[in-house]
Amino acid sequence: MKTFEERWTAWLDGQLSGRELSEFEASLPDKAAAESEKAEVRKIGALLKRELGAPALTNEEFFSHQLRERIRESSVRSTKRVAKASTWWTIPRLLWTGTASLAVFLVFTIFVIRDKNPAEESQYLTQILNARVDPVVSPNATVSMFEVKQDRVTVLWTEGLQSLPADYAAK
Amino acid sequence: MQTEATLAQADVSDLDLVTRCQAGDTEAFDELVTRYRTRVFGMIYNMVHSEQDAWDLAQDSFLKAWKSIKRFRGRSSFYTWIYRIVMNVTIDWLRKKQIKGGGSEFDDSIQLKHIEPASKTVPKSEALPHETIERSEIRARIDKAISQLSPEQRAVILMKEIEEMQYHEIAEALGCSIGTVMSRLFYARKKLQNLLRDVYENI
Repeated sequence: MKTFEERWTAWLDGQLSGRELSEFEASLPDKAAAESEKAEVRKIGALLKRELGAPALTNEEFFSHQLRERIRESSVRSTKRVAKASTWWTIPRLLWTGTASLAVFLVFTIFVIRDKNPAEESQYLTQILNARVDPVVSPNATVSMFEVKQDRVTVLWTEGLQSLPADYAAK
Repeated sequence: MQTEATLAQADVSDLDLVTRCQAGDTEAFDELVTRYRTRVFGMIYNMVHSEQDAWDLAQDSFLKAWKSIKRFRGRSSFYTWIYRIVMNVTIDWLRKKQIKGGGSEFDDSIQLKHIEPASKTVPKSEALPHETIERSEIRARIDKAISQLSPEQRAVILMKEIEEMQYHEIAEALGCSIGTVMSRLFYARKKLQNLLRDVYENI
Protein backbone atom coordinates (compact mmCIF):
# COMPACT_ATOMS: atom_id res chain seq x y z
CA MET A 1 0.00 0.00 0.00
CA LYS A 2 1.55 3.28 -1.09
CA THR A 3 1.56 6.23 1.27
CA PHE A 4 0.08 9.59 0.31
CA GLU A 5 3.58 11.01 -0.26
CA GLU A 6 4.45 8.21 -2.65
CA ARG A 7 1.24 8.55 -4.65
CA TRP A 8 1.50 12.35 -4.68
CA THR A 9 5.09 12.20 -5.96
CA ALA A 10 4.17 9.61 -8.57
CA TRP A 11 1.24 11.79 -9.68
CA LEU A 12 3.46 14.89 -9.94
CA ASP A 13 5.94 12.97 -12.06
CA GLY A 14 3.24 11.48 -14.26
CA GLN A 15 3.94 7.98 -13.01
CA LEU A 16 0.33 7.09 -12.17
CA SER A 17 -1.91 5.56 -14.77
CA GLY A 18 -5.24 3.75 -15.21
CA ARG A 19 -7.26 2.98 -12.14
CA GLU A 20 -4.54 4.19 -9.75
CA LEU A 21 -4.56 7.62 -11.42
CA SER A 22 -8.34 8.00 -11.45
CA GLU A 23 -8.60 6.85 -7.83
CA PHE A 24 -5.91 9.26 -6.70
CA GLU A 25 -7.36 12.22 -8.56
CA ALA A 26 -10.79 11.42 -7.15
CA SER A 27 -9.32 11.47 -3.64
CA LEU A 28 -7.92 15.01 -4.02
CA PRO A 29 -10.01 17.56 -2.13
CA ASP A 30 -9.10 20.40 -4.49
CA LYS A 31 -8.05 19.24 -7.93
CA ALA A 32 -7.34 22.79 -9.17
CA ALA A 33 -4.97 23.48 -6.25
CA ALA A 34 -3.22 20.19 -6.84
CA GLU A 35 -2.78 20.97 -10.55
CA SER A 36 -1.38 24.36 -9.60
CA GLU A 37 1.11 22.70 -7.26
CA LYS A 38 2.06 20.27 -9.98
CA ALA A 39 2.87 23.24 -12.20
CA GLU A 40 4.99 24.75 -9.41
CA VAL A 41 6.95 21.56 -8.97
CA ARG A 42 7.64 21.54 -12.70
CA LYS A 43 8.84 25.15 -12.45
CA ILE A 44 11.20 24.16 -9.63
CA GLY A 45 12.51 21.28 -11.70
CA ALA A 46 13.10 23.55 -14.67
CA LEU A 47 14.75 26.17 -12.46
CA LEU A 48 17.10 23.64 -10.92
CA LYS A 49 17.96 22.17 -14.29
CA ARG A 50 18.68 25.58 -15.76
CA GLU A 51 20.69 26.91 -12.85
CA LEU A 52 22.40 23.81 -11.59
CA GLY A 53 23.45 22.32 -14.89
CA ALA A 54 26.73 20.52 -14.33
CA PRO A 55 29.46 23.11 -13.80
CA ALA A 56 32.46 22.61 -16.00
CA LEU A 57 35.23 20.52 -14.54
CA THR A 58 38.19 22.72 -15.22
CA ASN A 59 41.44 21.00 -16.06
CA GLU A 60 39.91 17.61 -16.77
CA GLU A 61 43.21 16.10 -17.84
CA PHE A 62 44.83 17.06 -14.57
CA PHE A 63 41.92 15.45 -12.76
CA SER A 64 42.60 12.15 -14.54
CA HIS A 65 46.35 12.50 -14.06
CA GLN A 66 45.95 13.07 -10.34
CA LEU A 67 43.64 10.09 -10.09
CA ARG A 68 46.11 7.85 -11.97
CA GLU A 69 48.81 8.89 -9.52
CA ARG A 70 46.60 8.12 -6.53
CA ILE A 71 45.70 4.71 -7.96
CA ARG A 72 49.39 3.96 -8.53
CA GLU A 73 50.30 5.04 -4.98
CA SER A 74 47.48 3.00 -3.49
CA SER A 75 48.58 -0.07 -5.49
CA VAL A 76 52.15 0.32 -4.21
CA ARG A 77 50.87 0.72 -0.65
CA SER A 78 48.66 -2.35 -0.87
CA THR A 79 51.51 -4.41 -2.36
CA LYS A 80 53.73 -3.36 0.55
CA ARG A 81 50.97 -4.22 2.99
CA VAL A 82 50.61 -7.69 1.51
CA ALA A 83 54.38 -8.25 1.67
CA LYS A 84 54.48 -7.00 5.25
CA ALA A 85 51.57 -9.19 6.25
CA SER A 86 53.27 -12.31 4.87
CA THR A 87 56.41 -11.77 7.00
CA TRP A 88 54.52 -11.29 10.22
CA TRP A 89 52.67 -13.99 12.05
CA THR A 90 48.99 -13.47 11.80
CA ILE A 91 46.71 -14.07 14.79
CA PRO A 92 45.22 -17.31 13.38
CA ARG A 93 48.70 -18.62 12.73
CA LEU A 94 49.73 -17.80 16.28
CA LEU A 95 46.66 -19.54 17.64
CA TRP A 96 47.30 -22.68 15.61
CA THR A 97 50.94 -22.74 16.63
CA GLY A 98 50.05 -22.30 20.28
CA THR A 99 47.50 -25.12 20.16
CA ALA A 100 49.90 -27.45 18.38
CA SER A 101 52.67 -26.68 20.90
CA LEU A 102 50.32 -27.40 23.80
CA ALA A 103 49.28 -30.71 22.24
CA VAL A 104 52.92 -31.77 21.76
CA PHE A 105 53.69 -30.79 25.34
CA LEU A 106 50.76 -32.82 26.70
CA VAL A 107 51.67 -35.91 24.67
CA PHE A 108 55.30 -35.64 25.79
CA THR A 109 54.29 -35.21 29.46
CA ILE A 110 52.01 -38.24 29.36
CA PHE A 111 54.79 -40.42 27.95
CA VAL A 112 57.33 -39.21 30.52
CA ILE A 113 54.99 -39.89 33.46
CA ARG A 114 54.18 -43.31 32.14
CA ASP A 115 57.91 -44.10 31.78
CA LYS A 116 58.57 -43.10 35.38
CA ASN A 117 56.20 -45.82 36.65
CA PRO A 118 57.03 -48.71 34.42
CA ALA A 119 54.70 -51.68 34.72
CA GLU A 120 57.71 -53.95 34.98
CA GLU A 121 58.80 -52.43 38.29
CA SER A 122 55.40 -52.70 39.91
CA GLN A 123 55.12 -56.30 38.79
CA TYR A 124 58.46 -57.05 40.46
CA LEU A 125 57.37 -55.44 43.73
CA THR A 126 54.08 -57.38 43.73
CA GLN A 127 56.04 -60.55 43.15
CA ILE A 128 58.23 -59.88 46.23
CA LEU A 129 55.31 -58.98 48.47
CA ASN A 130 53.42 -62.06 47.46
CA ALA A 131 56.39 -64.34 48.08
CA ARG A 132 56.49 -66.19 51.33
CA VAL A 133 59.47 -67.71 53.06
CA ASP A 134 59.21 -71.45 53.44
CA PRO A 135 59.38 -72.16 57.26
CA VAL A 136 60.68 -75.72 56.63
CA VAL A 137 63.64 -74.61 54.55
CA SER A 138 64.46 -71.46 56.55
CA PRO A 139 62.83 -71.60 59.97
CA ASN A 140 64.61 -68.47 61.37
CA ALA A 141 64.17 -66.37 58.30
CA THR A 142 62.63 -62.94 58.56
CA VAL A 143 61.67 -60.67 55.74
CA SER A 144 60.96 -57.01 56.25
CA MET A 145 60.35 -54.21 53.81
CA PHE A 146 60.61 -50.49 54.18
CA GLU A 147 60.47 -47.51 51.90
CA VAL A 148 62.77 -44.48 51.86
CA LYS A 149 60.49 -41.84 50.49
CA GLN A 150 63.02 -39.07 49.87
CA ASP A 151 65.12 -41.43 47.76
CA ARG A 152 62.02 -43.06 46.28
CA VAL A 153 63.50 -46.49 47.09
CA THR A 154 61.82 -49.59 48.52
CA VAL A 155 64.21 -51.86 50.47
CA LEU A 156 63.56 -55.54 51.06
CA TRP A 157 65.53 -56.73 54.12
CA THR A 158 65.93 -60.49 54.53
CA GLU A 159 67.67 -62.45 57.38
CA GLY A 160 68.26 -66.13 58.04
CA LEU A 161 67.68 -67.30 54.50
CA GLN A 162 69.58 -70.44 53.46
CA SER A 163 69.41 -69.34 49.93
CA LEU A 164 67.63 -66.63 47.95
CA PRO A 165 64.56 -67.98 46.16
CA ALA A 166 64.90 -67.78 42.43
CA ASP A 167 61.86 -65.49 42.28
CA TYR A 168 63.69 -62.88 44.43
CA ALA A 169 66.49 -62.41 41.98
CA ALA A 170 66.83 -58.82 41.06
CA LYS A 171 65.88 -58.05 37.56
CA MET B 1 36.63 15.79 -35.62
CA GLN B 2 36.73 12.36 -34.06
CA THR B 3 39.69 10.15 -34.71
CA GLU B 4 39.42 6.43 -35.34
CA ALA B 5 40.67 5.79 -31.84
CA THR B 6 37.97 7.88 -30.19
CA LEU B 7 35.30 6.30 -32.37
CA ALA B 8 36.54 2.86 -31.39
CA GLN B 9 36.58 3.89 -27.73
CA ALA B 10 33.02 5.15 -27.93
CA ASP B 11 31.95 1.75 -29.26
CA VAL B 12 33.32 -0.01 -26.20
CA SER B 13 30.58 -0.48 -23.64
CA ASP B 14 30.95 0.39 -19.98
CA LEU B 15 30.64 -3.28 -19.17
CA ASP B 16 33.55 -4.22 -21.47
CA LEU B 17 35.66 -1.55 -19.82
CA VAL B 18 34.66 -2.80 -16.38
CA THR B 19 35.68 -6.35 -17.35
CA ARG B 20 39.09 -5.04 -18.41
CA CYS B 21 39.36 -3.02 -15.18
CA GLN B 22 38.65 -6.17 -13.20
CA ALA B 23 41.66 -7.73 -14.89
CA GLY B 24 43.76 -4.78 -13.67
CA ASP B 25 43.68 -2.62 -16.81
CA THR B 26 44.11 0.96 -15.57
CA GLU B 27 43.70 2.39 -19.08
CA ALA B 28 40.17 0.98 -19.23
CA PHE B 29 39.44 2.65 -15.91
CA ASP B 30 40.88 5.88 -17.25
CA GLU B 31 38.34 5.71 -20.06
CA LEU B 32 35.48 5.21 -17.59
CA VAL B 33 36.73 8.19 -15.59
CA THR B 34 36.79 10.29 -18.75
CA ARG B 35 33.21 9.30 -19.52
CA TYR B 36 31.81 10.15 -16.08
CA ARG B 37 34.13 12.69 -14.44
CA THR B 38 32.14 15.76 -15.50
CA ARG B 39 28.78 14.34 -14.39
CA VAL B 40 30.21 13.04 -11.15
CA PHE B 41 31.93 16.34 -10.42
CA GLY B 42 28.76 18.30 -11.28
CA MET B 43 26.60 16.11 -9.10
CA ILE B 44 28.95 16.45 -6.12
CA TYR B 45 29.37 20.18 -6.69
CA ASN B 46 25.60 20.66 -6.49
CA MET B 47 25.60 18.73 -3.22
CA VAL B 48 28.52 20.48 -1.51
CA HIS B 49 28.67 23.88 -3.25
CA SER B 50 32.45 24.04 -3.24
CA GLU B 51 34.62 23.39 -6.26
CA GLN B 52 37.63 22.23 -4.24
CA ASP B 53 35.59 19.87 -2.07
CA ALA B 54 33.77 18.55 -5.15
CA TRP B 55 37.11 17.87 -6.83
CA ASP B 56 38.45 15.99 -3.79
CA LEU B 57 35.25 14.01 -3.30
CA ALA B 58 35.13 13.09 -6.99
CA GLN B 59 38.73 11.88 -6.71
CA ASP B 60 37.90 9.86 -3.60
CA SER B 61 34.83 8.37 -5.28
CA PHE B 62 36.75 7.22 -8.35
CA LEU B 63 39.57 5.85 -6.22
CA LYS B 64 37.05 3.90 -4.16
CA ALA B 65 35.44 2.66 -7.37
CA TRP B 66 38.80 1.40 -8.63
CA LYS B 67 39.48 -0.41 -5.36
CA SER B 68 36.10 -2.14 -5.39
CA ILE B 69 35.67 -2.67 -9.13
CA LYS B 70 36.24 -6.42 -8.70
CA ARG B 71 33.06 -6.58 -6.65
CA PHE B 72 30.97 -5.06 -9.46
CA ARG B 73 28.74 -7.88 -10.70
CA GLY B 74 26.97 -6.03 -13.50
CA ARG B 75 23.54 -6.32 -11.91
CA SER B 76 23.09 -2.58 -12.48
CA SER B 77 24.70 -0.20 -14.94
CA PHE B 78 28.17 1.09 -14.16
CA TYR B 79 26.65 4.57 -14.08
CA THR B 80 24.25 3.61 -11.26
CA TRP B 81 27.01 1.76 -9.45
CA ILE B 82 29.42 4.71 -9.53
CA TYR B 83 26.61 7.01 -8.40
CA ARG B 84 26.09 4.80 -5.39
CA ILE B 85 29.74 5.23 -4.44
CA VAL B 86 29.59 8.97 -5.13
CA MET B 87 26.50 9.34 -2.95
CA ASN B 88 27.98 7.32 -0.09
CA VAL B 89 31.19 9.34 -0.14
CA THR B 90 29.40 12.68 -0.40
CA ILE B 91 26.67 11.99 2.14
CA ASP B 92 29.26 10.70 4.63
CA TRP B 93 31.32 13.83 4.08
CA LEU B 94 28.31 16.10 4.56
CA ARG B 95 27.33 14.27 7.75
CA LYS B 96 30.88 14.51 9.15
CA LYS B 97 31.05 18.18 8.23
CA GLN B 98 27.79 18.77 10.02
CA ILE B 99 29.01 16.94 13.15
CA LYS B 100 32.31 18.87 13.12
CA GLY B 101 30.51 22.16 12.62
CA GLY B 102 28.20 21.35 15.48
CA GLY B 103 25.37 23.15 13.78
CA SER B 104 22.58 22.03 11.54
CA GLU B 105 23.17 23.24 8.03
CA PHE B 106 20.16 21.38 6.75
CA ASP B 107 16.83 21.28 8.45
CA ASP B 108 15.21 17.91 8.91
CA SER B 109 12.60 19.25 11.26
CA ILE B 110 10.11 20.00 8.50
CA GLN B 111 8.20 16.76 8.31
CA LEU B 112 4.65 15.70 7.55
CA LYS B 113 3.27 17.28 10.71
CA HIS B 114 4.54 20.64 9.50
CA ILE B 115 3.35 20.30 5.93
CA GLU B 116 -0.19 19.65 4.94
CA PRO B 117 -0.18 17.31 1.96
CA ALA B 118 -1.11 19.15 -1.20
CA SER B 119 -1.08 22.42 0.67
CA LYS B 120 0.03 25.69 -0.88
CA THR B 121 3.15 26.94 0.78
CA VAL B 122 3.87 30.53 1.75
CA PRO B 123 7.27 32.07 1.02
CA LYS B 124 9.35 32.81 4.09
CA SER B 125 11.74 35.26 2.55
CA GLU B 126 10.96 38.57 1.02
CA ALA B 127 10.11 38.51 -2.66
CA LEU B 128 12.57 40.19 -4.90
CA PRO B 129 11.38 41.99 -7.99
CA HIS B 130 12.07 40.09 -11.18
CA GLU B 131 14.23 42.89 -12.59
CA THR B 132 16.65 42.93 -9.68
CA ILE B 133 17.32 39.25 -9.45
CA GLU B 134 20.63 38.60 -11.02
CA ARG B 135 21.66 35.19 -12.18
CA SER B 136 24.27 34.85 -9.47
CA GLU B 137 21.75 35.77 -6.85
CA ILE B 138 19.37 33.13 -8.13
CA ARG B 139 22.15 30.59 -7.99
CA ALA B 140 23.01 31.67 -4.45
CA ARG B 141 19.37 31.34 -3.41
CA ILE B 142 19.12 27.88 -4.91
CA ASP B 143 22.38 26.78 -3.28
CA LYS B 144 21.16 28.08 0.06
CA ALA B 145 17.82 26.32 -0.33
CA ILE B 146 19.50 23.05 -1.28
CA SER B 147 21.89 23.34 1.65
CA GLN B 148 18.86 23.31 3.93
CA LEU B 149 17.85 19.87 2.68
CA SER B 150 19.22 16.76 4.33
CA PRO B 151 22.02 15.04 2.33
CA GLU B 152 19.61 12.28 1.29
CA GLN B 153 16.98 14.79 0.13
CA ARG B 154 19.64 16.71 -1.79
CA ALA B 155 20.71 13.52 -3.48
CA VAL B 156 17.22 12.51 -4.62
CA ILE B 157 16.19 15.94 -5.88
CA LEU B 158 19.41 16.36 -7.84
CA MET B 159 19.30 12.88 -9.31
CA LYS B 160 15.66 13.33 -10.30
CA GLU B 161 15.68 16.87 -11.60
CA ILE B 162 19.22 17.28 -12.92
CA GLU B 163 20.25 13.77 -13.85
CA GLU B 164 16.70 12.78 -14.83
CA MET B 165 17.17 9.38 -13.26
CA GLN B 166 14.24 7.01 -12.75
CA TYR B 167 13.00 6.16 -9.26
CA HIS B 168 14.49 2.67 -9.39
CA GLU B 169 17.88 4.02 -10.49
CA ILE B 170 17.90 6.52 -7.65
CA ALA B 171 16.88 3.77 -5.24
CA GLU B 172 19.76 1.60 -6.45
CA ALA B 173 22.21 4.47 -6.24
CA LEU B 174 21.18 5.29 -2.69
CA GLY B 175 20.62 1.72 -1.54
CA CYS B 176 17.05 2.33 -0.43
CA SER B 177 13.53 1.46 -1.56
CA ILE B 178 11.60 3.22 -4.30
CA GLY B 179 9.05 4.26 -1.66
CA THR B 180 11.80 5.97 0.32
CA VAL B 181 12.97 7.79 -2.79
CA MET B 182 9.43 9.05 -3.48
CA SER B 183 8.95 10.09 0.11
CA ARG B 184 12.25 12.01 0.15
CA LEU B 185 11.31 13.69 -3.11
CA PHE B 186 8.01 14.74 -1.59
CA TYR B 187 9.66 16.49 1.37
CA ALA B 188 12.50 17.93 -0.69
CA ARG B 189 10.04 19.51 -3.13
CA LYS B 190 7.89 20.88 -0.33
CA LYS B 191 10.92 22.53 1.26
CA LEU B 192 12.12 23.96 -2.04
CA GLN B 193 8.63 25.28 -2.78
CA ASN B 194 8.72 26.95 0.57
CA LEU B 195 12.17 28.42 0.13
CA LEU B 196 12.20 29.32 -3.56
CA ARG B 197 8.66 30.41 -4.31
CA ASP B 198 9.61 34.04 -4.86
CA VAL B 199 12.42 32.99 -7.16
CA TYR B 200 10.49 30.74 -9.50
CA GLU B 201 7.39 32.90 -9.48
CA ASN B 202 9.31 35.97 -10.57
CA ILE B 203 11.16 34.42 -13.43
